[in-house]
Amino acid sequence: MSTQAFQLLSTPLHQKHIDLGGKIVPFAGWSMPVDYGSILNEAKAVRNDAGVFDVSHMARFVFRGADIAEKLDHALGGCITDQPIGMARYTMLLQYDAGILDDLLTYRIADDEFMLVVNAANRERDWELLTERLSGIECSDLTEDGGGILALQGPESLNVMRKLSGDANFAPDFLALGEIETEFGTLFFARTGYTGEHGYELFPSAEQIVPLWTALMSLDVAPVGLGSRDILRLEAALPLYGHEIHEKITPFDAKLRFGVRGWKTRDFVGGDALRALPETAVHLIGLSCEKRIPREGYSVMCNGEVVGTICSGAMSVVLGHPIATAYVPKNIDGDFSIDFRGKPLAANCVALPFVPHRSRD
Amino acid sequence: MRPNDRSYLDSHEWAKLDGNIVTVGISDFAVEQLGELVYLDLPDTGSTFSEGEAFGEVESVKAVSDLNCPVAGEVVEVNSDLCDNLENLQNNPFEGGWLLKVKIDGNSLGDMLDLAAYEALVSSQS
Repeated sequence: MSTQAFQLLSTPLHQKHIDLGGKIVPFAGWSMPVDYGSILNEAKAVRNDAGVFDVSHMARFVFRGADIAEKLDHALGGCITDQPIGMARYTMLLQYDAGILDDLLTYRIADDEFMLVVNAANRERDWELLTERLSGIECSDLTEDGGGILALQGPESLNVMRKLSGDANFAPDFLALGEIETEFGTLFFARTGYTGEHGYELFPSAEQIVPLWTALMSLDVAPVGLGSRDILRLEAALPLYGHEIHEKITPFDAKLRFGVRGWKTRDFVGGDALRALPETAVHLIGLSCEKRIPREGYSVMCNGEVVGTICSGAMSVVLGHPIATAYVPKNIDGDFSIDFRGKPLAANCVALPFVPHRSRD
Repeated sequence: MRPNDRSYLDSHEWAKLDGNIVTVGISDFAVEQLGELVYLDLPDTGSTFSEGEAFGEVESVKAVSDLNCPVAGEVVEVNSDLCDNLENLQNNPFEGGWLLKVKIDGNSLGDMLDLAAYEALVSSQS
């Protein structure tokens, strides 16, 4: 569209996306496919069948060292010392005042080795903070090593993994890490994802990523862009940095208590602030409306008074109508409406997640 | 193929003159850029607009966009069925997907792009 003032990064699959008709947009410093023709159909493919996202823009950090679990336990919001080898966990990087700097997954590869996957937009800041908080630890940023991350998601993803591996009994636990043998070598995976569906994140090497993508296409897995990814994660009410979570929001506001497990007693950055916090005054609610899609920043009203702003909005493919999230004061009740560019339209407050999770199925 | 019998705005509306009546719509490029449409808001017959004023909104899965009136005048007809048949706008923006008919003073369009200039604009934005 317009000339970029800086050079965008592109994933090893950039040409594949263009060949598939992907509409390429700038996203967090990367050229990424927002869709391959239909955001809605791609989201439906993940809900009903299987789809794959190239999420190689997400940053991959690897940390190694003798007391790495203890150091990560201090550096991150979540309890890491009891994270089993071969499992992934969701947690957050917090400020000292307990504001959320990022959310991330920690993958325990060995007793003394972890991989962290963090948001592309926060790569540099996270790297600076983590390397500072983890002094004395061997740190590597593998994001641009030529490999990447493919998120294979949807109810059929288990069968796709069985076909890729040739193992009819393949059935890893939710959040488990593992390796499968494929025609292009040993492939590292985790049973994780960000859609609320049964799914996998695959971590191909530079040599594997193009053949893996090609193999997935030949297994009729739908290519899915970032536009659908946003619908799917919002339907599942999974928070997105910059929307539901940011520096002014604590894990308690965002109902992410499970991401700071052990917060009452553990010594970690943000822990003292969390323990000193008064009870949170706001909470995240779900809103549904009829036709128009609430966009980030729109005002939310209750009985005509502005009570909050929209964090995220999207067209739900499962429900067939628009959905949105907003922080509003606790204990308010009444008729909700949303200001659509000067026109207030009724909205209903609904339970989160909008669509039940099936990721453990 | 974009029709050569009308003029275009750089905000991707088109205007087709017939006497003192101007039919207004949006281009195929606008529709393609918006993607899957979810909502269209059009004014009532009898509304008046100045040149360049927003007369409505079109919304897609991706974004919401103002619709700009290429001419000053009074709305004499609205393609109101379109609001419930957005596929007609999606698939047929130059014919069945027209939006408004506006009665203007005089019988000429203001400063708009001809087809060649509009095609150059589109290729620079693609």
